[in-house]
Amino acid sequence: MSVKELRPSGPPPSSGGSRPSADGPLTKLNKAIYRQAPEVFDNLRPRALFHNIYKSVYRTTAFPKTERERSEAFFNSFLLHIQPAKIEKHALRFTYTFGLGLLSTYLFLLLTISGLLLMFVYVPSVQDAYGRMQDLHSSVSFGYILRGMHFWSANAMIAVVFFHMCRVFYTGAYKAPREFNWVIGVILMVLTLILGFTGYLLPWDQLAFWAITVGAGIAGKANWISDNINALPHPPGAPTVPPLGDLTRWALLGSDTVGQEALIRFYVLHVAILPVIITLFIVYHMWRIRKDGGISSPKESPE
Amino acid sequence: MKRIREEEIFPRNPNKTYGLMELVKGSSTRVDRGPDDMVSSWPHLLIREAALFAACFAVILALSVFKPAPLELEANPQKPPNPAKAPWYFLGLQELVAYDAFWGGLGIPGLVVIGLMAIPYLDRHHSGIGRWFAPSRRMACALWTGYVVIVVVLIIIGQYFRGPNWAWYTPWNMPPEVQ
Repeated sequence: MSVKELRPSGPPPSSGGSRPSADGPLTKLNKAIYRQAPEVFDNLRPRALFHNIYKSVYRTTAFPKTERERSEAFFNSFLLHIQPAKIEKHALRFTYTFGLGLLSTYLFLLLTISGLLLMFVYVPSVQDAYGRMQDLHSSVSFGYILRGMHFWSANAMIAVVFFHMCRVFYTGAYKAPREFNWVIGVILMVLTLILGFTGYLLPWDQLAFWAITVGAGIAGKANWISDNINALPHPPGAPTVPPLGDLTRWALLGSDTVGQEALIRFYVLHVAILPVIITLFIVYHMWRIRKDGGISSPKESPE
Repeated sequence: MKRIREEEIFPRNPNKTYGLMELVKGSSTRVDRGPDDMVSSWPHLLIREAALFAACFAVILALSVFKPAPLELEANPQKPPNPAKAPWYFLGLQELVAYDAFWGGLGIPGLVVIGLMAIPYLDRHHSGIGRWFAPSRRMACALWTGYVVIVVVLIIIGQYFRGPNWAWYTPWNMPPEVQ
């Protein structure tokens, strides 16, 4: 289209006048823009405007047709570029991976979102925590669904992470060059268990309180190590090893029993420290998949 | 593809340790579909990932609507339940603790984690990658299955077969006050 088709819209010219037209400030601005940069009016057409904004955000077409465009759709996308633009057919077979690794990522995503929303309601205090849980089931809109999603995602994630580890073992996917990613995976599983354990206390109901009492009791069993070391023959007056189990338990609970100190410690671990740590490990785990040559394939050990 | 005699185009240079070996006419082998059976991630991978998320979200949402998360009475330090049970994923640990406090609760689990991390450095045999239950890995698969069975059985015992004072009960004889 030609630029000249467009005219600045202003008041209609006064017909036969006493004075040369007295333009308002808007019309003056319009005319000035038209003189200096007539294409501005073309750029403001909704179609062109939308197209230009879209192109500035997302440089590839939304519906790629050629192979090149399809590659670019992954390569140029912030969210998709961590994955390869081309993938082996074998890797796409559902029965090879059952999507377990991605599934645990999805569950972690659901846990993060539902957990952040739960934080708007929850108060980590022994006086208020349980009441807030009851609020979730009674007065908060969709509160029980929110808590249910957090609960079920957490339990599912622990199971799915374990199944994922079984898949990787049974398909020999931990072998070179992926040894270290398996190690990262074991760390991720331990972190998942600890996240589950720290979250278990927060509802502050009977189940939570006594499960953590049992769990902290297990940590206290580390006394066995220091007791045995101290029982070794040693010169009189030599320093003794402090009771390791009691120290661990104290570090965990901040007290001899499960109470306010334990609740705030578990809360901070559960909503801030551990999520950041596990996120870093998840990102590293995924980065290594690409660097170790993508998902394992039978082509790596022809039989 | 048609071979072209290279010497007519590039005569051999005796000063060079390398030379043009062959020229081939024809399109690159990667055009259309490569010989290694690759497909575009768009849409083949993307559509599967989107479907998996939809399924995951639907299942979790359905569970949370129809089976809400449990909430027992408020915590009461004066009223210990008998038995007090750990979360289900730690029931295997609790079961082991019943036999030996240190080795069950810390020693064996610690060794298991170290052992799991050591697997790829012990099993260096480069066979059976990318196949489920490859015949050449029968031994490894059997060992792993043994590990999985132990974990699952310990959790099931802890969840369904342990009653007051961590004594053995069958699920149908479980005292009613134990959930």
